[in-house]
Amino acid sequence: MTHEFELPDVGEGVAEGEIVNWLVETGDPVEEDQPVVEVETDKAVVEVPSPVDGTVAERRAKAGEIVPVGDVIIVFDTDGDGKATETETETEAESEAEAEPASTTDVEAEATDRVFAAPSARRLARERGVDISAVEGSDPSGRITAEDVRAHAEETRAEASDGVESAVQPADESEGDTFTPASEGADRDRTLAVPATRKLADEEGVDIDAVPTDSEHDGEPFVTAEQIEAYTERQQAAQAADTRALQTGEREERVPYKGIRRTIGQQMERSKFTAPHVTHHDEVDVTELVETRDDLKQVAKERGVSLTYMPFVMKAVVAALKDHPYLNASLDESTEEIVLKNYYNVGIAVATDAGLMVPVIDDVNRKGLLQLSSEMNELVTKAREREIAREEMQGGTFTITNFGAVGGEYATPIINHPESAILGLGEIKEKPRVIDGEIVPRKVMTLSLSIDHRIIDGAVAGSFTNTVKQYLNNPALLLL
Amino acid sequence: MVVGDIATGTDVVVIGGGPAGYTAAIRAAQFDLDVTLAETNALGGTCLNHGCIPSKALVTGANTAHEAATAEELGIHADPSVDLGEMVAWKDDVVDQLTGGVEKLCKANGVNLLEGRAEFADENTVRVIHDGEGQGSESVEFQDAIIATGSRPIEIPGFAFDGDRILSSRHALALESIPESLLVVGAGYIGMELSTVFAKLGTDVTVVEMLDDVLPTYESDVSSVVKERAQQLGIDFQFGESAQDWEEMDGGITVHTETEEGEIDEYGAEKVLVAVGRTPITDTLNLDAIDLDTDDRGFIPTDDRTRTTLDHVYAVGDVAGDPMLAHKGMKEGEVAAEVIAGEPAALDYQAIPAAVFTDPEIGTVGLTETEAKEEGFEPVVGQMPMRASGRALTLEETDGFVRVVADEPSGFLLGAQVVAPEASELIGELGLAIEMGATLEDVGATIHTHPTLSEAVMEAAENATGKAIHTLNR
Ligand SMILES: Cc1cc2nc3c(=O)[nH]c(=O)nc-3n(C[C@H](O)[C@H](O)[C@H](O)COP(=O)(O)OP(=O)(O)OC[C@H]3O[C@@H](n4cnc5c(N)ncnc54)[C@H](O)[C@@H]3O)c2cc1C
Repeated sequence: MTHEFELPDVGEGVAEGEIVNWLVETGDPVEEDQPVVEVETDKAVVEVPSPVDGTVAERRAKAGEIVPVGDVIIVFDTDGDGKATETETETEAESEAEAEPASTTDVEAEATDRVFAAPSARRLARERGVDISAVEGSDPSGRITAEDVRAHAEETRAEASDGVESAVQPADESEGDTFTPASEGADRDRTLAVPATRKLADEEGVDIDAVPTDSEHDGEPFVTAEQIEAYTERQQAAQAADTRALQTGEREERVPYKGIRRTIGQQMERSKFTAPHVTHHDEVDVTELVETRDDLKQVAKERGVSLTYMPFVMKAVVAALKDHPYLNASLDESTEEIVLKNYYNVGIAVATDAGLMVPVIDDVNRKGLLQLSSEMNELVTKAREREIAREEMQGGTFTITNFGAVGGEYATPIINHPESAILGLGEIKEKPRVIDGEIVPRKVMTLSLSIDHRIIDGAVAGSFTNTVKQYLNNPALLLL
Repeated sequence: MVVGDIATGTDVVVIGGGPAGYTAAIRAAQFDLDVTLAETNALGGTCLNHGCIPSKALVTGANTAHEAATAEELGIHADPSVDLGEMVAWKDDVVDQLTGGVEKLCKANGVNLLEGRAEFADENTVRVIHDGEGQGSESVEFQDAIIATGSRPIEIPGFAFDGDRILSSRHALALESIPESLLVVGAGYIGMELSTVFAKLGTDVTVVEMLDDVLPTYESDVSSVVKERAQQLGIDFQFGESAQDWEEMDGGITVHTETEEGEIDEYGAEKVLVAVGRTPITDTLNLDAIDLDTDDRGFIPTDDRTRTTLDHVYAVGDVAGDPMLAHKGMKEGEVAAEVIAGEPAALDYQAIPAAVFTDPEIGTVGLTETEAKEEGFEPVVGQMPMRASGRALTLEETDGFVRVVADEPSGFLLGAQVVAPEASELIGELGLAIEMGATLEDVGATIHTHPTLSEAVMEAAENATGKAIHTLNR
């Protein structure tokens, strides 16, 4: 008996995942719950455990491949004696053996082999990659209906995703892609592919038997057009690399645009080209804030919390948002409505090794500085370690990005779509300021506020920034 | 490639335009594949030109004549005179309509049609050799090939087909006049169908069969109904004898036969029809060029996706193995095309029906009781004799029965054997029942029109569960 395992829904709303790294080989024995593959979604890398005890009969996706949720990625043999039938001779023997019953009249099959199901249900099973003999018939006599096939497919999927730990270890990105281009060519005698793929292979001058694949159709290696393309690209890259190495050494390196990087990119692109951005710049004297924070830092430390400026900024921002609801809003393009939000969930943009992530702290208006601090610290750490769950990055109403952490005064933050504004913080620097006719050193922070000019005008942006400044300039106001 | 040869490219080349081939071609074209179909003779293959359709046309003609001549009991007195030439011309019309239809369908679906014999030149090229001296050939480069070359009648030593004295089924279906006497070698379904046709047309028919019964692949209670009726029609059976040779003798021929014990017999006849079976056609293909082997019976082995041992070559229809039936070939053709198109198609039907157009007809599907036992089921059978059918009585056709075989614990239908008028039609319902996973209860509880022959199907199902009304329950 085989168990076809579909890529489970590894996180809320995740539609596809990239196979980062296979943890098992064809033929390996596996135990239920043993991690078999690392999958990277747009936010996290998760280890997907086996839903059954058995042997790996077939891996249907290869490292680097992006697989939609619900596609069969691995087939387990659950008979115990299951052997991978990958070798050439076995495959041939198999297809001959299969052919035989058609040309003889003796019947050898066991009664139990017969499955009672309508042709439409059989076809559905094939479409869904379901082994129909594994489906339980719900009909009083045990007949398998299309509904049973569907239910079985769902069940396997659900079972699979039940077993998924929401987020596990950070993946070593390079591991997923350990191509050794020059030597990777497969060398099969028989490869299945649809005609269009063969045509493509021909056009690219690729020997289809040499294209690596983990996919199979009925136990035979199966190659897709994408695999041909990927193979061609890698071959070309390998050749180019060879030539370069011979000439001048590495001048360029190509890094795949994928996973979290690609998600960030897409999100940025969408935001930038949907909302007309306007950025308002200003600076604020935060000398008092620095002093206040210094005072409170010790108290916080005693309570086990490391207090940064961010909670103060969050408080100031929320206070200003209350006065300027359009900055705590989103434009619902489908209904042509501006959605003003009476809750204040603030996202904090965090740079991680994998790229930008935005954990969200909910209900900032209802939380004290210390609570905000500790929540934020926790989320930021999780994000850096890529242990953050999708839900912890959703539902924000406004985002703050602290580009000053790496130095710099002004920048143009891109709005975290579909929010309507984002505030960027520059570094706090000591700068000369004129107070009562005298030049004195003051602590100064720069602010860059980008707004969606469709629903917010420049004046509103300025007015919002003034309010934020007011609070940051005089932190005592935050206590009111 | 031959010098001057122009190679055209195609996604799928289909070799053979019989029911398996044209179905594959049309279906593949429906998937937007570029399809080239090569046929050496006539579109429609054996089935339309020399097999199913012509034979059924003549069955109809012979039945009409026979019924008219034997309807005295109904108060009908007629003495029909049959012009076989006219009947054959009518049959040719029917065939022309159908082959024309196939051609239109192919074209309408965008299939490129080539006339000629296709043979493999290499793994991705076939050469299509056009008929006739100096007609030349052309090469077609393909991604995938579907072999659908069908089958031809088997010749036996000493009886080379000449179309005059020694006939194949194909010749027999094209005769211009009714032979006075006909010796038929072989009592398989083709031999029995044609024997019946000619007997009904007034020919003196003798059937020589090596085995000891007619229709050896059928259960004896099935074949015996047909045999008895054949005997009533005047057909003479000689079992346990094999035809050895023949000689011309004053206006006719004499055929010598031999029993296993070496006894020699001789039979005079005007013509001999040899119908001992059919053999797959692969010798037209130059299979060596692609390194494709046939099995010991000459078939091209395939799997349940119709794939051969070469990943881009498929085989369907008679050439791919038993049962050599048109409807099996058509289904295989569809599957081949769909597999090539990347669809999840497979031959996972539970049963292939078969029909014999004798008098009465035979229709079978799925397992017999014995086969069901061998497969590990606990079979139960239900039977309805035609003599208990009101409609059969009104047709004056009361020989035969409908029998259903089911798995007793679950009630699932596993098979059926029907010997009855229109058995070829009745079997369709039972095939559907098996494919749908219907139970005896399902079939028995389905209301059937009264009075029809199909009521017998319902009755047989109820008989199996002890609920029959019109027969005594078992
Ligand atoms: C008398 C008779 C009665 C029959 N009655 C029935 C019946 O009632 N029901 C039923 O289901 N079946 C019946 N059959 C069987 C049925 O005809 C066959 O099963 C069916 O025709 C097989 O279809 P096919 O496409 O595989 O092959 P075919 O119909 O044989 O077609 C193959 C075609 O390939 C062509 N060809 C061969 N080699 C080449 C080549 N190298 N290049 C190009 N073309 C080539 C041939 O010319 C032929 O036209 C009957 C057969 C006979 C002879």
